[in-house]
Amino acid sequence: MSATPELLPYKRIREDLFRPLSGISRGYLLTTSIAFIVGAAGLAAWGYQLRRGMGVTGLQRPVFWGFYIVDFVFWIGISHAGTLISAILRLTDAAWRKPVTRAAEAITVFALMIGGMFPIIHLGRAWLFYWLVPYPNSRLLWPNFRSPLLWDLTAILTYMTGSVIYLYLPLIPDLAQLAEHNTTWRRRFYRAFSLGWTGSDREWHALERAMKLMACIILAVAVSVHTVVAWDFSMALAPMWHSTIFGPYFVAGAIFSGIAALIVVMATLRKVLHLEMYLTRHHFDRLAKLLLLMSLLWLYFTMAENLTVWYGNEPKEMAVFGARTRAHYARFFWTMVVLNFAIPFVLLGIRRLRTIATATIASACILAGMWLERFVIVVPTLANPRMPSAVSLYTPTWVEVAITSATFAAMVMLYLVFAKLVPIIAVWEFKPHPQEED
Amino acid sequence: MYLVGEFREQRALESAIRTLRASGIQPADLDLFSEEPVELPRGVLDRTSRMSLVSVLGAIGFGAAATGFVWWSQHDYRLVTGGMPLFSFWATGVITYEMTMLGAIVATFGWFLWESGLVRRRDPSAPVPEVDPGSICLRVRCGADDVAKASETMRRAGATAVARRGEP
Repeated sequence: MSATPELLPYKRIREDLFRPLSGISRGYLLTTSIAFIVGAAGLAAWGYQLRRGMGVTGLQRPVFWGFYIVDFVFWIGISHAGTLISAILRLTDAAWRKPVTRAAEAITVFALMIGGMFPIIHLGRAWLFYWLVPYPNSRLLWPNFRSPLLWDLTAILTYMTGSVIYLYLPLIPDLAQLAEHNTTWRRRFYRAFSLGWTGSDREWHALERAMKLMACIILAVAVSVHTVVAWDFSMALAPMWHSTIFGPYFVAGAIFSGIAALIVVMATLRKVLHLEMYLTRHHFDRLAKLLLLMSLLWLYFTMAENLTVWYGNEPKEMAVFGARTRAHYARFFWTMVVLNFAIPFVLLGIRRLRTIATATIASACILAGMWLERFVIVVPTLANPRMPSAVSLYTPTWVEVAITSATFAAMVMLYLVFAKLVPIIAVWEFKPHPQEED
Repeated sequence: MYLVGEFREQRALESAIRTLRASGIQPADLDLFSEEPVELPRGVLDRTSRMSLVSVLGAIGFGAAATGFVWWSQHDYRLVTGGMPLFSFWATGVITYEMTMLGAIVATFGWFLWESGLVRRRDPSAPVPEVDPGSICLRVRCGADDVAKASETMRRAGATAVARRGEP
């Protein structure tokens, strides 16, 4: 299969990319069912926590941030896969981006939906979430806008709005196409969301201009969102958190885990939806090189962060440093280094080993490694506070594990539903020019 | 009255547009329909846009409104700050920044809907041609006297079919 997708007849492209939308295979049903069951178990665990209170979690003094905040930071990081990568590729006009962008943008929206849930889950009394919203309440109170919690709220709200619009805009022409080629409820659905798109040059012109502007805006927002998440930590005077490097460290880590998530999703879609012609080795090779670069950048930041602390030898910081690298949390720290650097460096750095399969394996390792990185940042600092008598350990309970597992299931389920509703590759971006088609 | 010409080649289309414009037809009376964006050389059928300006205005508006609201709310219910200022841009700059960006996003999307015509009432008599894959349709609005001339222009330029639509 050496043909370039752009040179295929348009009819073939449309058939290939619209085909996955019809029919439901046994594998699809099975995966959706498993994801649904795991998701439902997580919801039940959350219900149990709402009924019994936060005491059912492993969170206790002084470790008040555990799995939930780790999950929050992890998923917000994953959300950088899409919009940020897609925006960079769109602005640089990288031709190979075409089959990648929509899959990436969808990751962003779903990861943000999942990540955005965690501050609410972590609140305990989730039904009081609306107290964060500025409204003229009966006690004449306003939210404290100086709090990083409010910064998070506004940053995620902005990123979510931007990402949904950024995903939706290039979907409109495809939805209009789908409205023509479908019957029953799907036709009504596609027609409603295509907003009466006719394909006029005014519409195309407005769409392209809007996409370029949105790409610029979303880049600035994406960087700020993960910086704000980093500031949740670094604004606290806690050992190994109060660091100026945290903003860029978190942004780099987010892009790193985002690319890894994108590769895993692309490899899965390629196999399941038979898109070998469109998601080629070429795409994986480019993304794998980018991933390797980010792995090195991640190592640089990790070294810079830890070396500074070690050289400074400040007792309170060294207590955390010791817990991370030599004591209770050392197994997580060193596993993280192996998963985020050693394995990807070998699999992606040696050209002969760099294949779609190894890129996917390296990416899966990175996803696990980046989750561990969030854990290693959040927990040891809280478990080793400045008050020596308060030193403690954190062990998550089944409730936290169930909710965490449910988020991964939710991601799978959302993606499966999305892939059945819209083509996972933008069809109109692949169309050959009239004179090229034959 | 409308004429719809179908083209298979972009060069033929460009030639038709140039000739039609030279004969006095305004760009506002010309519309292209295609299943993919058509990139024409500058000067053939330029569409001006105020989207960037609207985006900046939206950003300034949202940012200023958010900053004003934060300032007002912090003074409306005064927290004990131990001598620190009630409103500090250092501490609320993130809110201003994010709301500025939200303003740009909302304004860009809103203006896209307006400028593309998707949320505007359309002329019901204006035909929307069904475009075959790989072809481009040119819709021309012209007076009854100009129909024959415009039709001939499109045919000469290389239109594979020309049809009258929207006749009274």
